[in-house]
Amino acid sequence: MKKYWNKRIGAIVALIVVAVSPLLLQRPEAMSRSEADDTLVVITPHNETICSEFAVAFNRYWEKKTGKKVYLDWRTPGGTSEIRMVLDSKFANADENGGVGIDVFFGGGEYVFEEMAREGRFVPLAVFQSQPSWFDGENAIPQNYTGEQYYNKEKLWVGVCLAQFGICYNVDTLQRLRIEPPTTWDDLGDPKYFRQISIADPSKSGSVARAFEMLVQQKIHEALASTRREPGEDESMRRQRAIRYGWADGLNLIQRIAANARYFTDAATKIPHDVSQGDAAAGMCIDFYGRVYNEGLKKENGASRLQWVAPEGGSSLSVDSVAVFKGAPNSKLAQGFVEFLLSEKGQVLWNKQVGAKGGPVRRALRRLPVRPGVYTKQNLIDFTDPEVLPYINKPSFIYQSEITGPVFGSLRYIIKNLCIDSHRELQAAWLALIENSMPERSLAHFHDVSYVSYVKASGGMSNLLASGNKVEIAEVAKRTTGVFRRNYKETATLAREEGK
Amino acid sequence: MGDVLKQAFINERGEFSLSYLWVVFSNPIYLEGLWNAFVLGVTSTIVTFFVALPLALMAYRWDFPGKKWLTLLILAPLVLPPFVGAVGVRHILGVQGACNSFLIDLGLMSAAVPMDWLGDGKFLGVVMMNALHLYPILFMNILAALGNLNPAMEQAAQNLGASPWTRFKRITLPLCMPGIFAGAAIVFIWSFTELGVPLVFDYTRVAPVQIFDGIKDLNANPIPYALVAVMLTISVGVYVLSKIILGRNKLSHATKPKGNVQERQLKGVAGLFVSFNFIAVFLLATIPHCGVLFLSASTDWYSTVFPESLTLQHYQDGLGHPLVLGSIKNSLLYASGATLLDVVLGVSIAWVVVRSKIWGRNVLDALMMLPLAVPGLVLAFGYLSMSENGGMFSWLIGSNGNPALLLIVAYAVRRLPFVVRAAVSGLQQSNVALEEAAMSMGASPSRAFWRIGLPLIGTSLIAGAILTFAFAMLEVSDSLILAQQAEHYPVTKAIYALLSTLGNGHEIASALGVWAMVFLGVAIAGAFALVGRRGGNLFRF
Repeated sequence: MKKYWNKRIGAIVALIVVAVSPLLLQRPEAMSRSEADDTLVVITPHNETICSEFAVAFNRYWEKKTGKKVYLDWRTPGGTSEIRMVLDSKFANADENGGVGIDVFFGGGEYVFEEMAREGRFVPLAVFQSQPSWFDGENAIPQNYTGEQYYNKEKLWVGVCLAQFGICYNVDTLQRLRIEPPTTWDDLGDPKYFRQISIADPSKSGSVARAFEMLVQQKIHEALASTRREPGEDESMRRQRAIRYGWADGLNLIQRIAANARYFTDAATKIPHDVSQGDAAAGMCIDFYGRVYNEGLKKENGASRLQWVAPEGGSSLSVDSVAVFKGAPNSKLAQGFVEFLLSEKGQVLWNKQVGAKGGPVRRALRRLPVRPGVYTKQNLIDFTDPEVLPYINKPSFIYQSEITGPVFGSLRYIIKNLCIDSHRELQAAWLALIENSMPERSLAHFHDVSYVSYVKASGGMSNLLASGNKVEIAEVAKRTTGVFRRNYKETATLAREEGK
Repeated sequence: MGDVLKQAFINERGEFSLSYLWVVFSNPIYLEGLWNAFVLGVTSTIVTFFVALPLALMAYRWDFPGKKWLTLLILAPLVLPPFVGAVGVRHILGVQGACNSFLIDLGLMSAAVPMDWLGDGKFLGVVMMNALHLYPILFMNILAALGNLNPAMEQAAQNLGASPWTRFKRITLPLCMPGIFAGAAIVFIWSFTELGVPLVFDYTRVAPVQIFDGIKDLNANPIPYALVAVMLTISVGVYVLSKIILGRNKLSHATKPKGNVQERQLKGVAGLFVSFNFIAVFLLATIPHCGVLFLSASTDWYSTVFPESLTLQHYQDGLGHPLVLGSIKNSLLYASGATLLDVVLGVSIAWVVVRSKIWGRNVLDALMMLPLAVPGLVLAFGYLSMSENGGMFSWLIGSNGNPALLLIVAYAVRRLPFVVRAAVSGLQQSNVALEEAAMSMGASPSRAFWRIGLPLIGTSLIAGAILTFAFAMLEVSDSLILAQQAEHYPVTKAIYALLSTLGNGHEIASALGVWAMVFLGVAIAGAFALVGRRGGNLFRF
């Protein structure tokens, strides 16, 4: 009996010790709900580091300004696709003011913000009235830069930091595979990268889809520059022909990159992580992930196995944005938060070193502020990336929404059918081509994307997607995937025959 | 679930339609995905069975060196949060991972052409990971069933000259069928609908991954809901079919044991051989745990068997985070509440299914397996939409947005099959004549059940409750979607949030994962220690 009681007491004591052990290591919270005078509810796909640093900095700012303490109630259901689902569900049951109990949407690209603005979920931002100089005149936030929109025409959302898609790669793996470091999107289509590329799924993220759009657009730019007018053709006809060629070239490049891909992930952080661990040789990822991993893996000699490059002529500078929801429970505070994000204090936080004046408390965020005015000599001294001057070293790529904007939805839909749903057959065909030294006829068959030409994408397919007819959309997807699966199977057979 | 079916069968005009279902059945990609999921489910169940059955039989029949600890250690898969386990597996089986580094160091692999286990493994990898993750469910069920056997029946067969194989085939196996069936049904449905493991191996042409991809599609695709409806039907169909085939057990109402089976003492090489089997399964099953443990204390772990150097910084960052302490408290509340609710509901449902003559009780039994077959993310969004303003479950949300009741209900529903199966198999194996005898002496049916029936199924119920508690503590999908405010986060959501920490998110998440493993390990070991002999034959300390 005594032994039994000893065992019972021992088990309970052990359980309590383990349960409370984190108590010994506890750090105080920036601000708890009970201490605060106000609460701001923010839904965000941003990582924990960004959330905790902005909670500290905003509290400092707001307390100084109003004498009030604020509890930032972060809602983080996942990435932008989960946020969209949560918001769809909430807005379907909105309260009498049209609100959903959330004040601010912070983080995410133009695509998701424009979509929600169209659905009437945001209210105009007060910062455009209270701080007009931030949007007008020298050093103002441009409405468009590198072809990207930095704030909404109706002033319903505004970008707060910059983002650029690029290529991260593992130096060791490239050496092992004897591949030169990639500098362009084209490099990722090299067969030497077979099953060595890590990419994200464009059907789940507007930002990723935009990266693929840029890749296609780069090919269209090249075609526009190299295509000459043919007899009987006027300029408009030449341009249309060049766009059609460029579109097909772009899709072919996506096919090759997809054929080299290990997977299409929905988790943005998986890409730099897998590349840094050597599971993939290279991947398409956003700039600040590349910088953070590069820094984190630096050895004593300053070398890092993970490098990040912006692809030459193939990547614009977009923004991560903020907006205030209709019916926000604390609308005034929400507008104050947006103003803080665009103030100098809020802006320099994105790139200052840890411990620098106005810098983060625990970790550097390695992101670039959107306001050109904060890239001053004085601030740059404390910046983690002072050499990246986005408004001076302007990328050569200019995004032209009029070229691919109308087919943006179609492109995502096509990539899903052309590459993701038929990935196994695509890879099998690509492997057969590699093993048989890329026979010409088979390669041409592999690259035949006439079934999803620019004309079809901008015509019937765009109309179909706009119609919202889910059954027909699924039927067409089935047919398109079927066509390409068959095409890839035929390519593999043909390549083996040609290779004999 | 009603929400799922609504989305699967109601078109955009609000009319009933089978067109989404037609898209699923006419699309070879979805059909292949369903077939692959089915084959994965069947194969994983068979492999799990061949891992769990010998272990359960060895633990039941023999006493061997280290038995007390080994039978407990092989429950290790129960204590690891699945997505943290995935992080650990990738560090062990990655191209520059520990496994390849070890083989390269031994000269068994060329550093220039390392093996890509995760990329090449796919189907086999998923089956092995499923089996090594799920065998404790089958092991506990079979052991509970064996504990309920009447040793006199085997002894009678032995006296009549039956060989050990004949005794096993004709007596032991048929008598344990309720336990095997209870465990195997859960294992099949679990692996048929498993999402995390195929994602680790990037095995995408399988229905659960297709559903996950479809749900997250920015175009609000309705097809995944139709696919869920198909998976639900297949799960229930397979369950009912296997119950018809496996469940015909003429011996299930045999008389109850009057004493414990005599364990045979195995000494020397034979005893060590049995211990070795347990150790081998433990080592294989804890590959993810080792990955998580090393990662949680590593500065950098790349191209080496062990981390380059060790640090406790990630524990300080992880366990010291303001989110963590509150999340532990919340998880304990949610998981305990869910377990309690499940025990009450599970026993009542099991009683209706086994003891009552109510019409439709078999349908109820089959329906109880459904929560396992619906992907967690789908259920979570169903709850979300029903708990919003004016929704059916909005009363479950507290005035300050506290989702405690909602999460308890969500966790309980998701894990109810564990307790129902455990209680059903316990009731099937316990002798109703004892309750009838009590009632003939004047006890009311409820008193007879409370004083006789319930204690008799105690072991099975405890096994089911432990599984429920452990899996509720580690529940991911509901936690991610329904716990929206930081002060209501359970542990899994806190881990998920810290996973996104810039720079060392994986390491911090692993440190918290290690804490969760230790906590659940102590909780499970403590539960068994408390139950001890009184709890029956599950584990003999």
